[in-house]
Amino acid sequence: MHSEERLSASTPEGGHIEVSYAGAQGPMFALMLKTGLLTLVTLGLYRFWQKTRVRRYIWSSVNAGGDTFEYTGTGLEKFLGFLVAIVFLAVYLGVVQMILFYLGLNIMVDTDTADEGDLIGMVAASVISGLAVLPFLLFAIYRARRYKMARTRFRGIRLGMEKGAWGYVIRAMGYGLLAIVSLGLLTPLMTFRLEQYMTARSYYGSTRMRQDGRWSDLYAAMKHVFIALGILLASGFLIYTGSESDTIPKIVLGVIAMLVGYVWIFVGAIYYAVQSFGYLMSHKVLGNEIRFAAEPRTGTVIKTYILGGLLLALLSSVVFGIAFALAMPFLAGIESLFADGEATMTETQIMTRMIGAGVVVGIGYLVGLVVMQALTMILITQPVLAHYIGTIRILNPDALDRVHQRAAEAGIDADGFADALDIGGAI
Amino acid sequence: MSFAAEAIHLDGESGQPIRLTVTVDNTHQSLTGPGLHWPLNTIRELPDTAGGDLVILSRTENAVERLILKDSAIRAHLPCRRRSAPVANRPLLLKWAAAAMGSVALILFVLVPIMADQLANYIPPEGERALGQVTLNEIREALDDSGLEPVRFCTDPDGLTALRRIEARLSGEADLPVEITVHILDHEMVNAFALPGGHIVFFRGLIEQAGAPDELAAVFAHEMGHVASRDPTRHALRSAGSIGVLGLLFGDFAGGAVVLFLAERLIDAQYSQTAEAAADVFAHDLMRRAGLSPGALATIFERFAALDGDTRTFMQHFMSHPALGDRIERARRAVPAGLLPEPLMGDADWAALQTICSRTARN
Repeated sequence: MHSEERLSASTPEGGHIEVSYAGAQGPMFALMLKTGLLTLVTLGLYRFWQKTRVRRYIWSSVNAGGDTFEYTGTGLEKFLGFLVAIVFLAVYLGVVQMILFYLGLNIMVDTDTADEGDLIGMVAASVISGLAVLPFLLFAIYRARRYKMARTRFRGIRLGMEKGAWGYVIRAMGYGLLAIVSLGLLTPLMTFRLEQYMTARSYYGSTRMRQDGRWSDLYAAMKHVFIALGILLASGFLIYTGSESDTIPKIVLGVIAMLVGYVWIFVGAIYYAVQSFGYLMSHKVLGNEIRFAAEPRTGTVIKTYILGGLLLALLSSVVFGIAFALAMPFLAGIESLFADGEATMTETQIMTRMIGAGVVVGIGYLVGLVVMQALTMILITQPVLAHYIGTIRILNPDALDRVHQRAAEAGIDADGFADALDIGGAI
Repeated sequence: MSFAAEAIHLDGESGQPIRLTVTVDNTHQSLTGPGLHWPLNTIRELPDTAGGDLVILSRTENAVERLILKDSAIRAHLPCRRRSAPVANRPLLLKWAAAAMGSVALILFVLVPIMADQLANYIPPEGERALGQVTLNEIREALDDSGLEPVRFCTDPDGLTALRRIEARLSGEADLPVEITVHILDHEMVNAFALPGGHIVFFRGLIEQAGAPDELAAVFAHEMGHVASRDPTRHALRSAGSIGVLGLLFGDFAGGAVVLFLAERLIDAQYSQTAEAAADVFAHDLMRRAGLSPGALATIFERFAALDGDTRTFMQHFMSHPALGDRIERARRAVPAGLLPEPLMGDADWAALQTICSRTARN
């Protein structure tokens, strides 16, 4: 945290303040590991407090012109929200799951002997079962964002968001359907309108936010997706005409193009996510006078994913290797039983050792998972977050001084629905 | 010892930070500054803060007001800075906790079983058979030690003929809702089970451990009992419902899947006790009607007990066949006085059945 500027110089130069992220890898790893182990020994109960503490750390790392954000959510209210979500969701999920399973059985077929129609029926059934939970997922997305906003403070002033989760559900389903029907062509419309819906209900203190800009501007962010689709179409054409006329080089070229297109579409999707965030952030307005600018770089994000992913893969073999190595002493001597056929241990001794090895491997595996979660946070999640945040600038920040406080909100469900439905990712 | 430092005060009303100098007033036990009077024992420090070069203070009476200091020496003057806030809304929390537990108990122990029992009667036979087939293939793959191919079926023709004898004798007396399909798997496990759609599976281990044809017939009759009451299908429906709810409870934390699995096993074992007892009663009755002694079930259970030894006590909680002793007792009592069992097969057939795995096939 850099407090220098605030404590010494009071007016930022050039009419803007930079936002930076000060979170470090060491403290974050320690926090994730400690809270992850507590979550493990409490059979998952501590996860509400873990989430709270990690968010507190992240929020306090975000620094705008010398002042840091504060997360005021508590583990207890999240636990309460979880209980509320259970009351509403347990019966629904249990009954729905069983009915869907039953419906699935009605059309379930032996995959070895089934004809195409039956298989399509099975796939359709699994899609429908996904749709049964979708409204709740979307509801949970809005509620979770609203909860996070309500528990965020900057300079002691609360952020907040109005009610509107069901309106979000309806719009998200509608625009989502449009995007699907248009084969993804209307994805920018969906992205823009949904963000606009949420932004228009967001506040800093008593000052409302607004989303400016045009949805069609987001097509610029789609360009790599279109290039990838073009390559894939071309590759399909090459392979088709190549196999019609038996020209091997054409087919080979087509296959290579398909691989390129396949990688390109992933890159294109990341490009879209990064650039649309930048566009939407740069066109947000707070109280008609405070604007923002954000220029996240796709290259940096992709590099973080690739390097972080490689490092994670390497470290996971080390972490789980250690877990298995720890179990080895228990197994020492057992293989010699099979070698010379002479029993040097009683059956009980063998059993005890086998159980010992099993327990060590089991615990080692679970602890290994916790370590990997912590590593993922410091190698991928936090660096990507830091990059996004680090490119944001607040324009005309003097107007922030004139913002006034808003009343506290006390929804009892916190982000319980998001927790119950496993959304929201790492933070 | 007096303390004074520069600080930023956020009054929680306007967004404007105010710079001021605060001092510790030892006589009044408070932190004071221009327009500021915070009793020391009400001051808390925000935990889990990044950087560590700033001390951010709040006080218990006001949720939004903050004091930010660079001088960490202030910590020595704050006796309660680490004390956590008291649990607010305790009655509300308890109310919802009770409601959540009630909701989960209702769904797991009332709604799911009732619905499973009802739905099981309406599942079309083809769907049920397909589910059984898929499950059987999964089991064969899961039990494979070689890593090359699923566990093979035992197919010695003479052995199969002998097995048919048992099947014919029993199914003539049993009124089953679906047709029976018997499989023998080439695996040393001493076990047998029924799958949805009338699939009954024996393992080589069980056939080798059985001392006489009647014992196998007893196990067969027991599995037919499961088929008659559609236990495997109800079980599958129940698992689908329970897992949906349990997944909700344990969340996405590391090892959540393991806990979920164990919890599901524990719940399942509760359901199964009644199902096993009912299948036993079915078997006693069927054996009598087929002219065989229900006591054979007791004999093979005793073999299980001898094999399991003392590992049973711990494993009992996770197995769906608890309290073997009681079941042996009940099978013995089910033997009618003066029963003369009609032999099932000759010695040659029995020998063929015991070596049914001398020939195996992939499908």
